[in-house]
Amino acid sequence: MQLAWSAQDEAFRAELATFLDTEAPPEAHGYDFGESRPDEASIIPDWLRAWQAKLFDNGWMIPAYPPELGGRNSTPIQTLIYLEELSKRRIPRATHFPGYAIVAPSLLEFGNDEQKKLVPAAIRGDTIWCIGMSEPNAGSDLAGLQTRAQLFDDHFVVNGQKVWTSYAMIASKCFCYVRTDPSAPKHRGISLLIIDMDTPGIDVRPLRHINGKADFAEVFFTDVEVPRENLVGELNGGWMITQGSLAHERAGLWVDSVSRLEQTVFALVDLAKRTGHDLDPVARRRIAEKYELAASLRALGYKGFASFAQGSSAPEHSYMKMATSEAGKAVFELGMELCGPFAAVTDPELGDENGRWVNMFFMSFANTIAGGSSEIQRNIIAQRILGLPRK
Amino acid sequence: MDFTFTPDQELLRETARAMFAKECPTTLLREHMTDRSAIVPLRKHVREFAGLGTGAASDLCVFLEEMGYVAAPGPFFASAVLAGPLLEAIRHPQLEPVISGEAVATVAIAGNSGEWIPNAETVKYFVLDADLADWIVILESGPSVRVVPRDRVDPVPIRTVDSTRPVFRIDVGDVESESFELSADAWEAWRDRAHTVIAAEMVGTARRLFDMALEYAKERKQFDVPIGSFQAIQHKLADLALALERATAAVQYASMTVDAADADRTRAAHVAKAAAGDAARRCSKDGIQIHGGIGYTWEHDLHLFIRRATASEYLLGPTSWHHDRLADLLFS
Ligand SMILES: Cc1cc2nc3c(=O)[nH]c(=O)nc-3n(C[C@H](O)[C@H](O)[C@H](O)COP(=O)(O)OP(=O)(O)OC[C@H]3O[C@@H](n4cnc5c(N)ncnc54)[C@H](O)[C@@H]3O)c2cc1C
Repeated sequence: MQLAWSAQDEAFRAELATFLDTEAPPEAHGYDFGESRPDEASIIPDWLRAWQAKLFDNGWMIPAYPPELGGRNSTPIQTLIYLEELSKRRIPRATHFPGYAIVAPSLLEFGNDEQKKLVPAAIRGDTIWCIGMSEPNAGSDLAGLQTRAQLFDDHFVVNGQKVWTSYAMIASKCFCYVRTDPSAPKHRGISLLIIDMDTPGIDVRPLRHINGKADFAEVFFTDVEVPRENLVGELNGGWMITQGSLAHERAGLWVDSVSRLEQTVFALVDLAKRTGHDLDPVARRRIAEKYELAASLRALGYKGFASFAQGSSAPEHSYMKMATSEAGKAVFELGMELCGPFAAVTDPELGDENGRWVNMFFMSFANTIAGGSSEIQRNIIAQRILGLPRK
Repeated sequence: MDFTFTPDQELLRETARAMFAKECPTTLLREHMTDRSAIVPLRKHVREFAGLGTGAASDLCVFLEEMGYVAAPGPFFASAVLAGPLLEAIRHPQLEPVISGEAVATVAIAGNSGEWIPNAETVKYFVLDADLADWIVILESGPSVRVVPRDRVDPVPIRTVDSTRPVFRIDVGDVESESFELSADAWEAWRDRAHTVIAAEMVGTARRLFDMALEYAKERKQFDVPIGSFQAIQHKLADLALALERATAAVQYASMTVDAADADRTRAAHVAKAAAGDAARRCSKDGIQIHGGIGYTWEHDLHLFIRRATASEYLLGPTSWHHDRLADLLFS
């Protein structure tokens, strides 16, 4: 065990730091996903599209990938450093993660040669993707999905409905899970299709988030024809890919969540000073408890990365999603308490603090639901890591 | 940054684990409740590791986690771990015998408030294993250190919840002895190291409680199925596992900052002790809940570890005290 990073890793950090400090547009620094997410019309602002492309072209989009995929063949530890430097400056890679974080790794693993050609544009952000997993009656129980795809010689015909599909209103392609064999046991009858969103028969109806903005949607499919070559992997072999693509989604997310948690704790210290709670022993102790949580989770994340870098499976990652998303709710809740009676007031006349914490609190609800709820995470920890029997 | 154990640390862990499994069964802990001499054979084995007391904190933590796992009784913690580094800081001639395991020392710090910070009070509490010590290392305001032979003071036992680590009260007021000055840096380094290593030991005890609960959940059947198949039990164990993993990682990180004398050291040490306290407490409470009635019996071994976990949580500052110190740092 040692605290220091290697000289090569420090050199990597320095090169990245220079790039970020000199090349990132002003809007990127201190970007707050929670607050500055734009309205319906422009979920991805122009400057952010340009920035994502620039990261790709300079090998800084996914450092672990080869240059033709927006990277520089870096090591896992360097990926960690990369994520840290971005989150320290609160510089986003993209607002829209499905393309580079889910579609790209899944196609690289399961796609055919033709499909792999879609990868660079997905990572560069040139193609906007959405992920069609959830349905009204298939959320946590993803394998319960009912959207049908019937195969006729050279094409599928898709009928059904997806819901909570992030970015569906701006996406040109959907990574869509469909039922291709209704008679098979539910995990064995699912396939993955690439569906062009401008295919006739697709109806996207934006759904508003709890924060009032719309960046997910309901998607209806009525006799949508999808060419057979858009099938990813084996026919009826889609379940295996869902397992892989959720893992891709989770791998490095904790770095940003933990940094955000820490930054929020420091914001709580400032808030306490401004609201006169800095001498209140109860408030001080509760803030310190949150610091303990953030600091120990960072250590746990590092530990996971260290074993991952050495080729082990790193169970630590399974703890991180649940822990950081639950902690997120707790820190914003504490912020509201420190604001006192005005916590729930969003009238800007009454001070700039008002509305900030309550908005963030509301936004943080998503993280314990989306991408596998906290309950599902606990099931996974209990059954897959601790080896407890399934019922 | 590297959280993986070196081959030497792996070897140390395996050696310690095997030694404790053999030499420190729970029958020994029970025997020790009434007969202090029961630990004589165990002490011989542990003595060989006394040199770790002043070595790298990351190595020492590996050893202490194994020690906490079996709740090993004996003066290793008081002598090698707490007294050793103080003797080293003042270059005291007793350092050599203490870290070779020939002599036993213990520390006397906490006064009436129970806080482990230098003070001018003459009655000291929580003096660990004083009955077995040859030397008492007294930390006083200044900070300064005095080292007195045990036979010059009269340790009075304090009744405690944890028989594996007896504590004493001593009056050091009348004892004449040379006083050595300790720099503020040396005191802070000692304190952060002490917080980190007790946290490592607590992680070991918490892990024992967790392992016992997990194993029991897999074998105990109710309604014809293992209780570990019930989601309420699964989710409790998942939460315990998280608390434990968090504490384990926090201790590892803190031990690295201690070894590197890093600027984050004091915060990291408070985080480690607080996270270990949280894990130990949860593993005690939920561990016994998962065991049901059997866990509440004297015959079951669970309480031996719950006792150690509880006493350690209050030793060197309870969890809330560490949170308050963290708050002082955050608000300064
Ligand atoms: C902001 C946001 C963005 C999203 N984006 C997308 C997207 O782009 N694409 C997409 O496909 N989906 C997306 N989703 C959907 C998301 O994946 C689902 O909401 C999630 O899987 C939970 O499913 P559900 O909403 O149907 O809740 P349910 O599964 O009905 O769960 C309801 C409650 O029951 C609990 N529960 C369910 N099963 C169990 C169990 N076995 N044990 C214990 N408790 C259980 C849950 O934890 C939860 O508390 C998004 C959701 C949100 C909030």
